[in-house]
Amino acid sequence: MPPAEPALAPAGDAQLIAAWQAGDERAAAELVRRHARAVARFLAGAGAPEADLDDLVQETFIRAFRAVASFRSQCQFRTWLLTIGGNALKDLGRRLARRRVVPLDERLESKDGDPHERTVAGETEERLRRGLTRLPRMQREVFLLRAQQGLEYGEIAAALDTTPGAARVHYHHAVKRLKEWLT
Amino acid sequence: MMHDHDGVHDEGLRQVARRLGAEAAERLDVERTAQTVIARLRAGDAPARASIRWMQPAWLRAAAVVVVIIGAGALYRVTHPVLSSGSVATDRPPADVLADIPPGQLREVLSGLNDPLEMPGAVHAGEAGVEDLSEPQLQSLLEAIPSLKAVED
Repeated sequence: MPPAEPALAPAGDAQLIAAWQAGDERAAAELVRRHARAVARFLAGAGAPEADLDDLVQETFIRAFRAVASFRSQCQFRTWLLTIGGNALKDLGRRLARRRVVPLDERLESKDGDPHERTVAGETEERLRRGLTRLPRMQREVFLLRAQQGLEYGEIAAALDTTPGAARVHYHHAVKRLKEWLT
Repeated sequence: MMHDHDGVHDEGLRQVARRLGAEAAERLDVERTAQTVIARLRAGDAPARASIRWMQPAWLRAAAVVVVIIGAGALYRVTHPVLSSGSVATDRPPADVLADIPPGQLREVLSGLNDPLEMPGAVHAGEAGVEDLSEPQLQSLLEAIPSLKAVED
């Protein structure tokens, strides 16, 4: 049995990022443990098929760790991860679209989940999920970052490279359209 | 975290949104995901190496473009020495060049244009026809005609 890895002292994201850049793999693993569920929740909300969720979360972290030098703390590390996840999801949508031509909501929506679980999931939740897949990407991501992740407009704007005012407008457009579709 | 200036009427929507994907996220095996990510990073996705590898072709392309531009410039200078050395005088209209010459010097130059060129072995107009020229004189005459020289080259 291999010796257990020495435990990593509790640290902030910035310290873990610095440790990973210095070659400490335990720091990278800790960052995954810390943020993987939030990334998965965001991706699932944005329409990621559940069958691809694990791969998408991995891809998100791989891309983030590769490009970590470009992270300048303009927003929280988790928010940055979520935007990278959004890009990974978009790329998946493109790959699936090349394989067969289907509508976007059908493409990104899970058809592989347990039917019982899908039945149990609230009807409103299901309709919201469908509604989100019909929104433009910016509106969808702003809505999820705001409503699902509870982020401030300033944080959302920094992550999506826009202004807080524009993020607010995207959010309100998203809410207006979602309400129309949900009622 | 989030201030409630989006309106109370959005609260229902936000509650649903917060539940969205929660079950799928709970089913994620976080520890396995972490180990897989580390394994993939070990397989050659370390940050510095990856970024350098990604940047190399871009830098090489940029360097190649710079070398080509510099090379083309140097080649142009070699093949177009007069234009590229670009003395200002050659680019200026003749009238401007003449304006720089003092009047006395200009008169001297103009009067010199009326004098026949004194070349060794030169043949003056009216002195003789071509058929009267000796072989060295004919040779000198042919060499003095630039267009013929260019044809010979």
